[in-house]
Amino acid sequence: MDNEPTNYPMSSRKSWPIVLWLSGFLGQAEKEVVLGDLTEYGESGSRAIASVLGLVVRRKSAVFLDLRLWLAVALVVLPVSYLLSAIAESTAGEGAVYSWMYLNNWDWVLTRNPGFWHVLREMAMNFSITCFVLACWSWCAGFLIGRFPNAILQISRNTFIVLLAASFLVDAPTRFIHFWMFLHGLPLRPSLPDIHAPITANAFYHVFFPWIVLTILVVLPAFSGMRQGNRSSLFERKMRVVLVTAAIISVLIMLIQVPSFGLLLGAPVRQWMWRNRNAMQVPPLLCCWPMFYFIAIGVGRYGRCKAAITQCTR
Amino acid sequence: MEMIGEFEYLILSSAARLGAQAYGASIRIEIEKATGRRCSIGALYTTLDRLEGKGFVDTWMGEPTRERGGRSKRLVQVTATGVKEASNFFRTISRISKGASWTTNRPTTR
Repeated sequence: MDNEPTNYPMSSRKSWPIVLWLSGFLGQAEKEVVLGDLTEYGESGSRAIASVLGLVVRRKSAVFLDLRLWLAVALVVLPVSYLLSAIAESTAGEGAVYSWMYLNNWDWVLTRNPGFWHVLREMAMNFSITCFVLACWSWCAGFLIGRFPNAILQISRNTFIVLLAASFLVDAPTRFIHFWMFLHGLPLRPSLPDIHAPITANAFYHVFFPWIVLTILVVLPAFSGMRQGNRSSLFERKMRVVLVTAAIISVLIMLIQVPSFGLLLGAPVRQWMWRNRNAMQVPPLLCCWPMFYFIAIGVGRYGRCKAAITQCTR
Repeated sequence: MEMIGEFEYLILSSAARLGAQAYGASIRIEIEKATGRRCSIGALYTTLDRLEGKGFVDTWMGEPTRERGGRSKRLVQVTATGVKEASNFFRTISRISKGASWTTNRPTTR
């Protein structure tokens, strides 16, 4: 062998920080074992880097051979990231209009008008519910992803974020509508003048605001959901089934809220939905169950703390 | 059941020879000594995982030692199924090798 082990301590070599950094991509137990082996074996610097890099590449690429990953991406991650980006985009548009109306065009004279307060109250109420429901949907989607096996969890989580950002960036929902219309030989909609031109001309509302909405109402709740989904393995089986079923139903309900969803339905169903549009507002509210989940968790934790304190004081 | 691979056999044999002293670094040294070729950590640990998944070896974390900078070993023990599979592999190789020039020292290449 051309590169024999040496007796110099591994940790004093220049390559050691690189080896340590690379080993960070391994699991905690494996990292310890590999670093221990390299130390004991006295592997030369470049060989040590190559060894750890080889193992990291093998570990990371092995997950792509897992069929479960491809199923999870095709059946959950891809549709869910598309749906969430579509709803986040419409919510951001709605929010931008209201913000521009009230913040950029604030007039103290209007505050003396009772009608102004009535409309503001109603708008604030409706928009808050929209935002809250979106956050709950994101949490439910995250919860489902969090229930994936640990072997594919990290890559699924990263894929979700990448697909979400990509879908948002390329305006996938609008492109999907155009593609669908083209596919069915329908004439494309004429480009009408932008009725929100004053708002879209503002760089903040056009560029930054949608990403802020996406981060606050989708990414953060989804991450929280993923963490809770992963931790839910500690719950009883019945409880886990209930939570996963509720999350699946919530994600399905999310479908009816997507602007382009109507295209996939037949005309009679679309008409029925339009006639019952008030009743259609109810199912999304059912998706607010994560709020009760957190209340239950909080109450349980409070009860345990109280019991522990009582035991300690005895 | 399909036969184990050559590298799997090397690991099983090294672990069986080493007994209680079978762990990553020691198995690697044994394989390198026997084959005269380099054994990569990546190949060693991914194959060990595969063998463990098939139930041919058991692995567990040992105590941290000084010569390893206070880090633990991944100790390896060949299971009964592993012994059976390695024996099958060895018998097959022995059977198929009977009469081959490299076992009888007869020159067959021109």
